[in-house]
Amino acid sequence: MSETENKPLLDVENLTVRFEVSRGGSWGKRSYLYAVDDVSFTVKRGETLAVVGESGSGKTTTALAVARLVPAYEGAVKVGGTDILGLEGEALRKARQRVQFIFQDPYSSLNPRQRAEAIVREPLDSLSTKSEAEKQEIVDRLFAAVGLRKEQQRLFPHQFSGGQRQRIGIARALATQPELIICDEPVSALDVAVQAQILNLLRRLQAEFGLTYLFISHDLGVVQHMCDSIAVMYMGKVVEHADRLSLFNNPLHPYTAALLSAVPSVDRARREATRRILIPGDPPDPVNMPKGCRFASRCPVAEARCRESAPDLRDVGGGHRVACHLVDERAVSPLAALT
Amino acid sequence: MTEPLLKVENLRIELKLRDGVAPVIDDLSFELMPGESLSFVGESGCGKSMTALAIMGLLPEGIGRIASGKLIFDGEDLTTASEARLRQIRGNEISMIFQEPMTSLNPVITVGEQIAEVLRTHQGLSRKAAWDQAAELLDAVRIPNPRSRVSDYPFQMSGGQRQRVMIAIALACKPKILIADEPTTALDVTVQAQIFDLLRDLRAQTGTSIIMITHDMGAVAEMAERMIVMYAGRKAEIGPVDQIIDHARHPYTQGLISCVPHIMSDLTETREELTEVPGIVPSLREFGRDQCLFASRCKYRSGECLQHRPPAKGFGNGQISDCWHAEAL
Repeated sequence: MSETENKPLLDVENLTVRFEVSRGGSWGKRSYLYAVDDVSFTVKRGETLAVVGESGSGKTTTALAVARLVPAYEGAVKVGGTDILGLEGEALRKARQRVQFIFQDPYSSLNPRQRAEAIVREPLDSLSTKSEAEKQEIVDRLFAAVGLRKEQQRLFPHQFSGGQRQRIGIARALATQPELIICDEPVSALDVAVQAQILNLLRRLQAEFGLTYLFISHDLGVVQHMCDSIAVMYMGKVVEHADRLSLFNNPLHPYTAALLSAVPSVDRARREATRRILIPGDPPDPVNMPKGCRFASRCPVAEARCRESAPDLRDVGGGHRVACHLVDERAVSPLAALT
Repeated sequence: MTEPLLKVENLRIELKLRDGVAPVIDDLSFELMPGESLSFVGESGCGKSMTALAIMGLLPEGIGRIASGKLIFDGEDLTTASEARLRQIRGNEISMIFQEPMTSLNPVITVGEQIAEVLRTHQGLSRKAAWDQAAELLDAVRIPNPRSRVSDYPFQMSGGQRQRVMIAIALACKPKILIADEPTTALDVTVQAQIFDLLRDLRAQTGTSIIMITHDMGAVAEMAERMIVMYAGRKAEIGPVDQIIDHARHPYTQGLISCVPHIMSDLTETREELTEVPGIVPSLREFGRDQCLFASRCKYRSGECLQHRPPAKGFGNGQISDCWHAEAL
């Protein structure tokens, strides 16, 4: 048992996703935007990995590529040991049962002309061979599990509130009894008071069904509450990847530290204790990436070597991986020298 | 004691629905001092933005109207002011930053022209002088290369830069009140932090009063001195920010603070369930009833909550809570 438990359920290796862009210049020459550039991470069964980053960092593209909703250019996505990127036809259909997706916007991700029960049943219709009676039983059970009433099955999406729609989206994702659920900003479109309801529900379902989550979010408060480990992305690269406690208590990459220091806090003590780390300017042009570290132009402690060569993501002890030239085995934040 | 810059007295705003009218703002009173920073907090549909639109005289025509109450700005009642007078005040003495920097700028006009237009209209500057000042304003909101960026179109700028342009337009005439309606909701956290720094600095330099509308308690704690918590068109609680965060006297305020996972400085293994505020904001039809409108979602609900609208109870330092059980909380 412990053997299978410790094995990662999701193993993403050197994943690269690129998009062709047309940019002036000599015609006939193609340029590519590397939205996800050589990204690797693993998620253990029953755990939650959060991918955080700002808009344009490639976190959503990573999620879509793992679910095979955008084609990957290179790399492997292994779910329980099998690479799903090469699968076709029936094998892909089987794999899709194991990986499901919860979308960001509960207003546009539900078909307005279908009843709630049909929306939740749809993955069963297209991915399983169950009988009608079995399907109805599963739908009934899912409605109860996500906190909706049985009579609400006959309603259409516009008759639900935002939080209830996201519950329908969650029930749909659970229909095929998946092992991995990819949650792409599942609460960012919801009102603050409703966010807590959905976050608590996701955690309860995880415990109940032993789910593994790949959790995409830009809200660090939500991430801190939900995840077991975190991968921080910047411009298509993972810059830091560690478990929850190490990352939040000892952020090593200057970008992670800047991100954490920018979160407004209600706690007066924390507000006074944290020094805002300013990262002026804008991210580099994603089509013409600098050859060195992609964060160097905004980094408060960048050195000459940072602009020359790109740092690799490497382990600095205890599974804390960071891509920064200025972090060594002592795992001391390079920003510590500033104070 | 200085006179308040803006005094809102028993304001009631009604929206026309298919079946009758609903009070989207119901008996709201507050004061704003010169140079003060005040925040409105609440979920969507609680009347935060409506208050801002009423102050600006921008209520949706034919649908929303001020039914009663006064909006006294600098000694002048805006509810009875003529449309021409309101035009003079808008963008000049009271200006507003909107939520969506992507859609609130005109995409086919350069950002310089959009700033200069305000200066020509309100301050009668010449074309040349207005253009020069537009560049200076871009510099003031910290856009690099302001001289060349004035002739950029909005699509050539990032979201954070567009919001800076919005701020430059709003600040062009050195307004006495700046209303910021969710100014950073569409932006990333690091950009949000930069915009907050900018607003804080500009306030210190110009002495502008800021009214910020938000749903994020963290943002309120960073930016404001006082806050007004709105629920279903009514004021739930008002008072100094730190005092309310330390000890909120309204169950809705408590819910808003504790339902969000706040980032902690010393993280430990323990993870508690988030406090849920069950249900959602009531529909407009239920607004204006003589009862506590939060009662259906409240764990402290008792008989009187359903029978009468709760009275305002004071707790010193200007903290007022509209709750039957405020003392017990």
